[in-house]
Order: sequence, then structure tokens, then C-alpha cells
Amino acid sequence: MTVMTKMKGFAAAAGLAATLLTGAASYAVADEVTLTMAVPDWPPTRIMKKFFDEQYKPKSGNTVKLDVDFIPWPDFYTRVNASLTSGEQKYNFIVSDSQWLGAFVEGGYYRKINDLLDADPEFKKTLMNIHPNPLNAYSTYPYKSENYYGFPQFPDVLVNYARKDIICNEEEQKNFQAKYGKKLPCTGEELDAMTWDDFKNVGEFFRRKKGEMLAGAPAEDDFYGIAFQAGKGYDFSSMQINGFIWQMGGNIWDETQAPTGQAEGVVNSPEAVAALEKYLSMLEYMPPVAKTGTMDIFKSDELFREGKVAMNIDWIGLGEASLDPKSSKVSDKLVFGQMPGTMGPDGKIIRWSNIGGQPFVLTTWTTDAQIKEAVEFVKWWLSDDIQHQFAAGGGQSAVKSVYEDPKYVTYRPWNRAWAPQLDWQKDVWHVPQFFELLTQQQDQFDLAITGKQDAKTTLDNIAKFQQEVLKSGGLIQ
Amino acid sequence: MSGKVSILEALGFRKASGVGEAGWGRTLAAAIISFIYFLPVLFIIFTAIKPQDVALSVPPTLSPTSLFGLIPDQFVFTPTLENFGSVFERSMTVGGAPEPTGFDRYFFNSIVIASSSVLLALVIGTLAAFGFSRYPLKGNDTYLFIILTTRMLPAIVVIIPVILMFRAVGLSGSYTGIILLYTAFNLAFTIWMMKSFFDELSLDVEDAARIDGSSDVRVFFKIALPQVIAGLAATFVFGLILTWNEFLFALLLSGPDTRTVPVAMNQAVSSGGRGTDWTLLAAIETLFLIPVFLVTFFLQNHLLRGVTFGTVKR
Amino acid sequence: MNAPTATASPPPLTRIAPDNWKLAILVGVLVSLVAVLAAPAAVSFWIVGAMAALIAAAFAINAYRRKYYGGLLVAPAIAVLFVMNIFPLLWSLGLSFFAYQSNQQSIRFVGLANYVKVLTSELTATANWLALINTAIFVIFTVAAQMIVGFLLAMLFAKQFPLRKYLLILVLTPMMLSVVASGVFFTYYYDPTFGILSYVVNSLTGEQFVLMSTKLGAVTGIVFADAWMWSPFVMLLVLAGLVSVPKYLYEAAAIDRVSKWRQFWTITFPYIRGLLMLALLFRTIEAFKLADLVILLTKGGNDTMTISYHLIRIANEQNKTSEGAAISYIMLFMVIVLTNLYLYLANRRSQGA
Repeated sequence: MTVMTKMKGFAAAAGLAATLLTGAASYAVADEVTLTMAVPDWPPTRIMKKFFDEQYKPKSGNTVKLDVDFIPWPDFYTRVNASLTSGEQKYNFIVSDSQWLGAFVEGGYYRKINDLLDADPEFKKTLMNIHPNPLNAYSTYPYKSENYYGFPQFPDVLVNYARKDIICNEEEQKNFQAKYGKKLPCTGEELDAMTWDDFKNVGEFFRRKKGEMLAGAPAEDDFYGIAFQAGKGYDFSSMQINGFIWQMGGNIWDETQAPTGQAEGVVNSPEAVAALEKYLSMLEYMPPVAKTGTMDIFKSDELFREGKVAMNIDWIGLGEASLDPKSSKVSDKLVFGQMPGTMGPDGKIIRWSNIGGQPFVLTTWTTDAQIKEAVEFVKWWLSDDIQHQFAAGGGQSAVKSVYEDPKYVTYRPWNRAWAPQLDWQKDVWHVPQFFELLTQQQDQFDLAITGKQDAKTTLDNIAKFQQEVLKSGGLIQ
Repeated sequence: MSGKVSILEALGFRKASGVGEAGWGRTLAAAIISFIYFLPVLFIIFTAIKPQDVALSVPPTLSPTSLFGLIPDQFVFTPTLENFGSVFERSMTVGGAPEPTGFDRYFFNSIVIASSSVLLALVIGTLAAFGFSRYPLKGNDTYLFIILTTRMLPAIVVIIPVILMFRAVGLSGSYTGIILLYTAFNLAFTIWMMKSFFDELSLDVEDAARIDGSSDVRVFFKIALPQVIAGLAATFVFGLILTWNEFLFALLLSGPDTRTVPVAMNQAVSSGGRGTDWTLLAAIETLFLIPVFLVTFFLQNHLLRGVTFGTVKR
Repeated sequence: MNAPTATASPPPLTRIAPDNWKLAILVGVLVSLVAVLAAPAAVSFWIVGAMAALIAAAFAINAYRRKYYGGLLVAPAIAVLFVMNIFPLLWSLGLSFFAYQSNQQSIRFVGLANYVKVLTSELTATANWLALINTAIFVIFTVAAQMIVGFLLAMLFAKQFPLRKYLLILVLTPMMLSVVASGVFFTYYYDPTFGILSYVVNSLTGEQFVLMSTKLGAVTGIVFADAWMWSPFVMLLVLAGLVSVPKYLYEAAAIDRVSKWRQFWTITFPYIRGLLMLALLFRTIEAFKLADLVILLTKGGNDTMTISYHLIRIANEQNKTSEGAAISYIMLFMVIVLTNLYLYLANRRSQGA
């Protein structure tokens, strides 16, 4: 098998001879360990590989190679899923969306790391230095249990991207104050204090037709106040709607309550219905593509970067493109805030939100020699120094000592909104039925988003489906 | 055609076989229709030479030139070749130095894999088609239909056993594996297509040759094959186009070293933490179009020359 | 048609001859057995491969010497297809009778339960049926559009005229695009904010235009993109038939003052009938597999989910392998019925003619 693999390329014959000659000898000398990793192709993983190549010195004295397979984002799951389920056993490390944990742990592909944590107190300390919310989301299965699997690669949350030049314009400020009796938020702190009602007002207020006045000049094109994800693909509406539901006192099916927790009555509770209604009520103030069910996180980001929207709720992971003048018409006009919340009875804002980002995990066929090096690599990756460099190079860090460092907020304009939001992150189901639940829910939400069915029917359908699927899966009694 | 080829002839003024000849009137009609049909492609090509910041401007920028003032300025953009450079070398981290993207390798892979598998399928498939056409087996139609069914199911259904098989024999990530798979992928079409061409040929010429003492091999190469050159050209072009753009098998069976362009192209669909990088995608697609475009263009002559000495069957 | 006649009797088992396939099988199997037992997998794979080649060669030479040309010519194609296509198809057919999810280790025989489930289950069957209906809609409209447009384009280019080859290549280009690129650019053309279509309609009517917000619009958008890409396929096939019509037939017809319409049906049509059939067959088969454009343009929204995309979600995203296999075999059954119907009608016509 290995012979065949080497046959590719031009140096086939030469390579083969070299392998045969040196193969026996290499056992005696220092080991060469190769860790193969499947990652989505984007800057946070490219920079990880770059740091590794430039800076990583294994303590063991072995030669450690990180063989990274950069796979384009749109096909990442398809590729990884096929590799895992076909038994290809190709990768040692896999960047994995947190929600895939259940499916792939149950399949026997992801390796539990509790034994490694117990054997290496330093490793354990490194992992426990991560904020508990991301740690639970990225590492535990069942969710919030003591069974650990993963390490943060790129932790992410939703933030509010806003246009300073529009929202801080004096004229607009004055008119907004007159219309709503409230100050139009302008600074980051003022954005933090926004509720969804304020957000909706911004949407209504900034709906301008082409040629109407906008921030002191006629609008060159139709302009919209707000945008957030409302797309049918992958999880591009659930991630936003879950936040609404949690903030307004509802819940999604709660896997930590299994097997007594129900879907029926919880998923379609009156609070959840009200939350979905609130979410849907904002769509009319968004760019028209929202009506087609294809306004995903990339579309709303694109609309924002092209200057068609005043405020957009999106992942930090998409932020770099908006800062780059080559890809963004608003690069010098940005201000960031926390995602809007819901005013609680005590006058404090409730900010529950669905966590984003990805952990990376170890696979079960990784050999002991590889595991030893893998643990060292993870410890290095999560060390303060590297995490600081990562954050400075456009990454995010969920390591406490890093994001609490005063330097952290200076790396990127949205970092100010990072630490306070970590306390409010929850994750969606880690269960093996994740994809079944997600696709049905996305289909139903899409029907609501495109105006084909109301919030109540939507959540009733979702609850009914989840109840049956989870019951037959033994997760609901 | 005999002797020198004049410029006029090269431009299509030669007398060729075919249904008949038409004049400039037909040229005008065809030009208008072809141009309209080509517009969406032209837009992609123009996007490839647009500066990144006007890729999404409203109103859309449509032309790199104002055509002597014919096109209003708001639709005109200043062309650039920068995007083609980005295909092969650009920064892959935030603010990092430009680095090779590996696309030279991907283009090489695409060319090697597509051309060898299509040629292989053409050789194997043409032989089989001739066999099916001239030496029918018992249950000939059943065989043909079974061959057709291999094209009927979405690739996703057969992919898992193929991955398993490739892994078992060490073919995953190798050129050999993907070339064999694409050969099979092309066979159904090649066989059906070539069989229909062979079926249209008159048997009289072949029989006469046999009576004159030609061997069966000679009949195939000297008499049957030259008559179906149009068919070979068309089959090659179709096979090439389908293989060239095949995506799912390439995604799941190629390794980092044997990855083809359609797989790597998605880098630009979701590029570095944002959605579509329109100019980059257009630049990749434009470059990727050139090889098939040229092959098709040069085979067109064969395609249109057609069969000039075939006689009617029946 | 020359019926193949045996010219020599096969050699006895013991004689060493290149056409002694029986001996080749014996040697091949023995050597392979030894290799598999004694040598490591990487080496034995090649030895077994060499033995298979030896047996195949013996078969081939035997067939050649005895003029079994049909089998000889067809064999390589069948071999490649069997390994790469038919074996995996049979594998998934087998799986459709088991309860199996590719991301779980358990497997258990359930007979026809998967088929019953995908067709009747209260929870999931509706989606399957809806996807099938949508697929039927797409098959009808995309194939009809491609056949008509492709045929008309072929008629346009059938005659020789100045600059023909330069104009023809323009029409052929759409099908050379990769589906990803053309699909992504169609999302741009249809985009209500940035897109050209909306811009044009908006400039004319002053109204905002969102094509993809209704089922009619979404289906139109997908059918248009698909037909645009693949009409050239039909055109090229028809054209290859048209140019192979011998000119003297038309000259003879002109002398007999046969009307253009009759000329078409009696002279032209017989030459393109086979190729039209082929185009229809292959486009129908491809239309059943329509998924990429739907994924790129609507994600199945506005009730445009096709069976093929549905299958990708079930078999790949949700890893319900055996359920996916059952759906795909139901789909295969439908395609087979439809294509057989085509072939039956075509054969009847040609016999009637």
C-alpha cells in the first residue's frame, strides 16, 4: 500500500529506491513523527501551520512534521465525513464543528482524551485555562459532561458590525432621537447596550430608497438598516434564532436533560414562538435577498462590506475581510459591538447566544508515538505566547490568561466585545442525530423566513420531528 | 481541400460538405444569437480582469472599454491582470507575504488526469462500440443497457465502496486510481456514442473490403475508423468537458498532491473567512476554460467536416 | 454481418501456448494464492494484478485466434466498468437491504424495510415524494428546453457560412464551464441587490425584482441556468449528425423538387434520429441527477428540493447509508423505466419507418 502511494509524482523510482535503502536504517535513529491534519482552508488554519513550521521545536527531540490537508470550506464536511466513515484512517487531527462531536464520537472516530489529561497535569492545566463555555462546547460529549475530546482551533462568537459614518452622522442622530426618543447608538459601548427592539428600530429607520438622503448625501443605491443570517444552508438561521429563543426565556431541546427532557412543549413553548416571531419581524428591514432564503452569513457580510447595510450580526471569523480595503468599501468606517440582547426584568441585558468556531480533535487510530507528539503540539498551540501571536495574526483565543491580558483588545477592533460575550455562549446539540435535526429545522425555519408558514406552525413541526427522532434514538424517554 | 489554405478559406469561406451553404445573412443572425448566448461567459471573463473593488458595484460594470463612447462610463471598468497572479500566488494568512497557492500543480493534475482518462476511455470504448455494433453478442442490448445504468445514479451512492476499494489496494490519492475511475465514468457515454456512429455506417464498403481480402483489423482501422472521425472528435470533446469539470470523485479520492482545479476552485467560493471572491473565482475559471476551449476549437474542423463518403444504410 | 466462426479447436490444458486460457487460470490462481499467503500486501497486490493480466491476455489471444471478436472487443470496457462502477453499485444495492449508517459500526439485515420506510414513513416519506415530484418537473422542463434550444442552434449552424467556426465555439463555451463557477455566477446574475437581472428589470419598471423568492421564479432560474449550460451538448450531437448527411441526397431531392419539410423528414431526420435519441437519453439521465445548481442557487428552498440533492443530504450529511441506497434504487428504477420507454418508442419508430 505504501509503495503504491509513493508511486505518484515524478520521482517514483528514485523515491522507491531511497525508501528501500533507508527504510531499515531509520528505525535506529531519532524518530520522525508525522501528524496528518484535515483543516478548512482559511487564514486561522494557514497561520497555525505557518507558526508550526517556523516556531515549533518538539521537546522530545524527534522530528515532527505537521502534514496539513487544506480543504476548501464548502466541501470540508463532505470530505472529512467520507474519510472518517469509509474507514480511510487518514487523519490524526481533524478540525471539527463542535456539533459533529456526537456523530463522530459514537462512530468511534474521535479519541477521548481524559487519559491523556490525567497522565499529564500540565496538559490538563492548559485545557482548564480555557473559558468553561467554549471548553464545554468544543470538547465535551455528552455536552457539559466530564468527557473531553477537543481543543479550540478558532473560537468564535456573533458580534455586531456597524457603520460609524452612518450611525454617528449628526443629522441621522437627531432624526432618530426625534422619532424613537432614544439615542441612535454610535460608539462600541452604545452598541453593546442595544436590545433587539433598538436593532429593529435601526432597521426601520435606515430603510432608504435609492436617491433618498442618507447621512447627508443621496443614497447611491437602496440602503438597509440591518442584516443577520437567514439562510437555508447549513446552520445559517438556527445559529441566530437559538440566541433569540434563549434570551427570551425559551429553550431548544436540552440534551443535558436527556432522557427526561422533552422536545414537545419545550421547542414550541410560547416563549420560543414569541422569540421566533421577533426574529422574523426584522426580516422586512433587511436586504431583499432575505426573501429568497439564501441570506447566509456570507451574503449578509458581503452586503455589509459593499456598504448596503448599516449593521450586520455576523461571526468574528468573517471580520478580516471587512477590515481589508481591497475587499471592503467600509474598512475605515467600522465600529463593533456585542450582539444585541433582550432586556431582563432586572434591567440587565440577557445575551445568550449560540457559540461558533471550531475545535480540533484527535482520531482513534493515532498511534502512541503520534499521541505523545500531538499532546506536546496542543500544549504548545494553547500556550500564552502562541495564542497571543495567533490573536495578533487574526485569530481568537478562549484561553483566559490571554484574552484577559490588556493587550488583547488592541489586536482587533471587535476584541472589546469578545470576553464579555464568552459568559453568554451555549452550544446546540452535540448528539449523533445532529444533522438530521439540523436539516429538518433549517428547512422549517426557511419556510418561516420566506413567509410560507407562521412561527407557531414552524416550531410545532420542529418539536414533533425532534420528539420522534430523539425518542427512537433513545434520547427522550 | 487541396494545396495552400488561403486566409479566406481559413476564415470559413471554403466549400465544405454539409447540408448546404448560406451567406452573410446567416452569419449576421448567428453572430447575434451566439453573442447573446455567450454573454454570461463573457461576463465571467470580464470579471477576471476587474479590480476587486468593482466586482459587485451597482450598477454592474460590464465592459473594460467604453467602445468609443458607446457604453456609458458607469458600466466601464479599468482592466487589470492582477487576479490571474492571485490565482498562483497570494497571501493565505492575514497580512502575510504572498505564497504559492499550489494552483500550478492543480492545473497540471487536471490536464494529466482528464486527458489520460478520456483517451483511455476513447480507446477502450471505441473498441467496445465496434464490437457491439458489428459482432453483437447474445443479449447485446442488455449489456448496452447495463453499461448505461452506470451513469444513472448520483456519484454519492457509489462513492463509499469506491473509497474502500481504493484504500484496500492503495489507490487513494494516486493518479492511477482517479484516472481509472474517470475512464469508467466516461465509458458509458463513449460506447453509446461511438456505437451510434458505427451503426450509421454502411456495411457495403466493409464487406467489399473483406471480399478483397482485408483482415478484420484492417477493416476496422482503415475503413470504419476514418468514417467516424467526427464521432471520435465529438466524443473526445464531451468526455473531456465532463471529466474536466467533475467534482465529487475528485474531492473525495484525490490527495493534496493530486487535487484537481474544480476542487481547489472552491477556495474562491468561500475564500479565507468570507464568501465568494468573485474576481479570483472568475480568474480561476477563465484560466481553467482555456485548455478545453482550445481543444474544442481545434477539433471543431473534424467535427464539422463530417462523413463525406458514407452511404446510406438500408 | 459476419457470424464469427471457430477456426481452430482450443489447445489442451497441458500445452504451453499463449491462447491456453485454462492453463493461465490454473497458474494465475496458484501463484496468486502463494503470493497472498507469503508476501506483504503491497507486493502481493502487484503479483495478483500481474496474474490477472496474464489470464486476461490468454483470454484475449484465445478469442482473437478463434475470432470471438465481439467478446474480445467488449471485454476491456466491461472489466473497467465492473470494477469501478458495477461492483460499487451492487454493493450499495446490497446495503439497501440492511439497516446501516456509515458512521456507526452496527449492521443488520432488514429486508425491504428501508424501501417501505422511504416510501411510506410518516416522518420522512413526504419529503421523498416532494423531491421526486420536483425532480420530475426539472426533468421535463430542463430536457425539453435543452432539446428545443439545442436543436434550433444546430439548425442555425448546419449550413456552412462565413465565420461559422468562430461563432460556433462561442455557443459551445457554456458547457465547458465548471458547474461550481457557473452556478455561483448565476447566483450573482439573479441577486436582487448586485445582480444584473434585477438591475435591468429595476431600470425598466422601477420596481424591486427578486427572482428567486417564489417557486416559479426559483424553478425558472434553475431551468434557465441548466438549459443554458447543456443545450450546446444537444446542439453538438445533432450537428454531428447533420453534417454527416451526404450532400448528393439533397441535390437529388432538389432535382425531384421535394419540399424542404419532406426533405427534412426523409433525408435529414434519419441521420440525426440516433443522435437525438442519445442526447435525449443522456440529458434525461443527467437531469435526474440535478443537484449542484440547486445547492448553489436555492439550497432546495422555495420547494425546489430534488431527489438527488435530498439523497446527498441523507447519504452524506446524515450518513443514513442504507436509506440513501434504497432511495437511489427507487430512483434508478424510475430512470430505467423512462429510458426503456424512450428506447422502445425509438425502436418502434425505426421499424415502422
